Amino acid sequence: MTEIKIEMKSISKIFETDDVETHALKDVDIVIRAGEYVSIAGPSGCGKSTLLSLLGLLDMSSSGSYSIEGVDVSALSLDDAAAIRNEKIGFVFQSFNLIDELSVFDNVALPLQYKKELPTDEFIKERVETCLKMVEMSHRADHKPNQLSGGQQQRIAIARALVADPAILLVDEPTGNLDSQSGDTVMAVLAELNKNGTTICMVTHDARYADMANIQLRLLDGQIVKDEPLMVAV
Amino acid sequence: MRKLILRHNQAWASLKKKPGFILTVLLTMGITLGALLCVVTLNYLLLVEPLPYPEQDRLFVAEHKLIGPEKETKAIAFTYPGLVHLYKSKEAFEKASIMAYSQDVIVSHPSQPLVNTAYVTPELHQILASPMAMGRMFEASEAMDTNNPVAMLSYNTWKKEFSGSADILEQKINLSGISYRIIGVLAENFVEAELDGIGRETQVWMPWDYNQTGERGRQSFGNISGTLNFLGQLKEGVSQSQAQQLLSPLVSDRWQEGVIEMDFFKGWSVVMLVTPVKEVMLGDSESIAVMLLAGVMGLVLIACANISNLFMARTAEKQRQMAIQAAIGATKKHLFQAMLAETGLLMFMSIILALVLAQIGFFVMQEHFEQILPRVNELSFNPITFGSAVLVTVVFALFFAKLSTWMVDYRSLNTTLQSSGKGSGLQVSKKVRQVLIASQVALATVLVFANFSLLKDAVKTINAPIGFTTTNISTLVLNFASTDFPTQEERLPIMAEIKEKLEALPQVESISQSPSPLDGWGVRALTDVVSKERYTPFLNGVSHTYFGMIKQPLVQGDNFTLVDRQDRNNVMIVNQSFAKQLKADGDVIGMKISVGGPDPFKIIGIVKDIAIPNATPTGSDNADAGVPRVYTPNGLGSQRFMVKVKPGMSVSREQLGKLLSDVDSRYSVYSFDAADDILTKSLFVEITTAVTTAVLASLVFLLAGIGLYGILSYGTQLRRFELGARMAIGATRKHLVSMIISDNTKAVLIGFVGSVVLFALAYIGLSEYIQPFLNWQVLPMIVATIVLIMLVTLFACYWPLRQYINKPAIFSLRGSD
Amino acid sequence: MTVPIIKVQQLDKIFSTDDMLTHALQGIELEIQQGEYISISGPSGCGKSTLLSIMGLLDIPTSGKLYFEGQDVSQLSIEEAAEIRNQKIGFIFQQFNLIDELSVFDNIALPLRYAKRPLRLNIINDKVDYCLNLVGMTSMGQRKPTQLSGGQQQRVAIARALVAEPSILLVDEPTGNLDSRNSDQIMETLELLNMQGTTLCVVTHDIRYAEMAKRKIYLLDGQILGQTSFNDECIP
Repeated sequence: MTEIKIEMKSISKIFETDDVETHALKDVDIVIRAGEYVSIAGPSGCGKSTLLSLLGLLDMSSSGSYSIEGVDVSALSLDDAAAIRNEKIGFVFQSFNLIDELSVFDNVALPLQYKKELPTDEFIKERVETCLKMVEMSHRADHKPNQLSGGQQQRIAIARALVADPAILLVDEPTGNLDSQSGDTVMAVLAELNKNGTTICMVTHDARYADMANIQLRLLDGQIVKDEPLMVAV
Repeated sequence: MRKLILRHNQAWASLKKKPGFILTVLLTMGITLGALLCVVTLNYLLLVEPLPYPEQDRLFVAEHKLIGPEKETKAIAFTYPGLVHLYKSKEAFEKASIMAYSQDVIVSHPSQPLVNTAYVTPELHQILASPMAMGRMFEASEAMDTNNPVAMLSYNTWKKEFSGSADILEQKINLSGISYRIIGVLAENFVEAELDGIGRETQVWMPWDYNQTGERGRQSFGNISGTLNFLGQLKEGVSQSQAQQLLSPLVSDRWQEGVIEMDFFKGWSVVMLVTPVKEVMLGDSESIAVMLLAGVMGLVLIACANISNLFMARTAEKQRQMAIQAAIGATKKHLFQAMLAETGLLMFMSIILALVLAQIGFFVMQEHFEQILPRVNELSFNPITFGSAVLVTVVFALFFAKLSTWMVDYRSLNTTLQSSGKGSGLQVSKKVRQVLIASQVALATVLVFANFSLLKDAVKTINAPIGFTTTNISTLVLNFASTDFPTQEERLPIMAEIKEKLEALPQVESISQSPSPLDGWGVRALTDVVSKERYTPFLNGVSHTYFGMIKQPLVQGDNFTLVDRQDRNNVMIVNQSFAKQLKADGDVIGMKISVGGPDPFKIIGIVKDIAIPNATPTGSDNADAGVPRVYTPNGLGSQRFMVKVKPGMSVSREQLGKLLSDVDSRYSVYSFDAADDILTKSLFVEITTAVTTAVLASLVFLLAGIGLYGILSYGTQLRRFELGARMAIGATRKHLVSMIISDNTKAVLIGFVGSVVLFALAYIGLSEYIQPFLNWQVLPMIVATIVLIMLVTLFACYWPLRQYINKPAIFSLRGSD
Repeated sequence: MTVPIIKVQQLDKIFSTDDMLTHALQGIELEIQQGEYISISGPSGCGKSTLLSIMGLLDIPTSGKLYFEGQDVSQLSIEEAAEIRNQKIGFIFQQFNLIDELSVFDNIALPLRYAKRPLRLNIINDKVDYCLNLVGMTSMGQRKPTQLSGGQQQRVAIARALVAEPSILLVDEPTGNLDSRNSDQIMETLELLNMQGTTLCVVTHDIRYAEMAKRKIYLLDGQILGQTSFNDECIP
């Protein structure tokens, strides 16, 4: 049996504002193993984004347990969570979230800077170049993000997510800001990465893309609707 | 180390995108910190740094205080024989020296310059341990009554007037007909104990014996002179008050003996004041220095509040970027370090600019404040300056970085990344922003109002009508460079010829053989012959053409005539203020006034008052009171002239020097100055104040504007989506602008109230300074201040808003990009 | 034939950043008649929200014509656009966009306060009460938005959009921030409004809700792919 990368057990998340309590997630169980490509789909407001924040340690669950590569991460301090994010998790966002002031190379190199031990310049250079090659963007290393198309930016974001060699890639609606052709290219890159062993967990509401994953989960009103075939009930 | 460099490179790369931000921070902090360093150094110099003399804490100045019959202080000045008596007694002081300050012309010098002179006993430079650039200082060979004609030069005089000539010690100089051998040049770093006024540098030092007091003055206990000084080193173990107690009877007894014959001094007495030399040298400049420090601190506070706002606004802008970094794994510490790299860089650049500006400030102060502040010549960078610079840099860098990261709610940063925007990780509440606005308004109002008040007073003095004309008029004072003084009779033809030749000059319109209204005044003791009442008005001897030339109107009676001057008639013209003093109804024509001699003077005319800047009646500080003045006809032998040149023409000092020596080689130019220049010089303090306060007020406005803009701009940024929603509903620009304004009105009003509270506190603490300012005249100032502050606020409300309301509404509704 | 409320002709929208040009919309042709219920759907990034913003005069087209009730509104000034939005258009957003500091009542009254000719207080009260009733929120007038659930907030937003009696309601992803039960209720409310005569244009990527409209438009990469009949084959 392959190694378990991510394991969530009865995770709940409740948001409270003044008088109102919203149950964003209710008793969610997820297991993701090495090399899997998981998609999470569901209508807007179903809790997809909340789930992704919890998976990515951007937010803390209200209850339940969560471990990454066997290490319990349910109750971490802010700084510990940052360190784990840096080491184990690569993020790809809908809006790319590259830093406009930095070159493509520096954007990709950014996660390495937050490592406990700053790697040598040679290591950084080699690693960044490898990752840029994986997303076929080596020729744009010296450009600024705003000189690139959306599809290209998203590929840079993927390279950045990969650079620290994370346990899992968390991908949030990667084609949301792209036209269909660029969207297809980005999805092809992700598929290729998965084929080469990268574990991916992606949130999307685009049925075509959700289909590309080997495990498809559907979320409705904060709960995983298991065994339900995707997007049939139209 | 590599991490540090990397961080700074990134900080710089990020900052480079915001040249406006860098420039604002750099200028704001650079200017205010420059001023701070300058003033801190000055304060240290004036308040802490000891004088550069050995045993400087034992150096004291003794002063002679004359007290009138009503126990009022009449004068603080020595009589010549009294000073010599004190010097010779050697009581209380281990070493003592006496000095007489004056001015004279070096007639042997080709350009015949007028120089500041001091006649001193040798102990002075021994006490001060004056460093010499060359030669020796005065010694026993120059002690009192040795009559040894030698002189020392100041370093600047040697360099400037003698072009630093190496054989200076072999040269002789001639002043007032006496030839002095130069025996020494003081070193460049010699610091003179300036007792005769701040910024007066003695250029030529001569032995005491040659001081210019006449033979009669040297004997008279009734002749008081402000140019006589005493400086000494107290005996070990003798305190200031002990010295005062020892010296007072000694001096008083001798003085009483000396004036026993003189009725005028009946009921007067004398006490000795002994004051540390530092206190005399500093005068009231300590309070100026402290006021400056307080003002600059206020500026720094405003600047600091401003920059805080700017950093908050910047953090608001960088929020998304920080969120990305946090998602990638940056810890709170990483974010703080990145911020610190930025603030550190900015503060470092600012402090460099500040040091440059402080250096310029030192230079400016040395050039222009020499007359206002003591010891400015010693201003230079010292460990205190650098220490405060480093401290300020570190503290501010840490503070701004801490502030910026404090604003960011690290926990909710990720919301910025996910939802298309409504979430905000910023913590600064509306309340904090309102407090910032209010404090900004309060500080700015107080500072602007204070500056306005000072400015108004200065401008009022500058623009006050003086009551006479100075246009194209210069005053010429002759110098007699010989020891064989001519008699009055001998002088008459010489002066007549000089006057004739002056009038013949093609540039000259007219000549009046008179001193100028701007100098030559003496205080005279006058007695009303009938009532025996005593008065002390200012007195000047003037020619019959005097009032005509300066256009000072005669309001009653007659002017002097040439005959009055030829016959030395005992007639007198008084001004309106003195006429009022003599008689309530001011009708004084024909009154008889005694000036001490056997024959009293008869008042023949009344002239209008003149207002010489900063002149106050004797024994009064009230600048608004009329100054009583008395005029008598001067003799035809007077050596002072007013020269009125034709418009657009001028006469040179050299030309006049030539003219004089052609008539009589013993005469040269003592001084030749345009009346306008003298007037400007006498207004120096006011002009300096006006410029300084105007600059400060503008600076405060600028800073307040930047500050309010900062707060409101990021306040507006935070409300972006709300603004978008309102626009979608159909709010027009007018709706939104008036909404932002009314939202901030409360804070601005609180700010105004705050400024009133600050004023009230200041009033309680400093009522003696503030009281004179409190009258209805401040009302327009208050209104002007409030209007200006409101304009700045309105601008700050509108400007950040413009980027949202002048674009299609979708711009505000969509996310941050 | 009556004048259409909205008529779009050859509309293009191009976003440009530094050296990138993005064609968000290309050659859009569209008419919306009085009383219609139209849905615009398509994947994220297809341009549907941009189209809605332009039709709502929140944004201006790069080229092409836009007519609102027969008037050319392609290039209005910011002020003129604000006035039309205020009088003729009601907006409903995914994020509700209520103003947290104002009570529910004041939120709904806001469009009336921005009206060119201010209304009398009792008329404002009547209109707001009527709209509150319409969305079933009568008892909540004095609450603050933060004291309401998402579904309730969206209903307040609908009341706000209706209060000025606009010619058309433009609805952008109304259920995006709601759970399925609340979403269903909101969509039912909208349907009901349409049956009572309100013209509706809804942008959504939820197929179930797109299907509720009488006319369906599908956008892909800034172009209209299909109209009226929804192409089932798009969804595998």
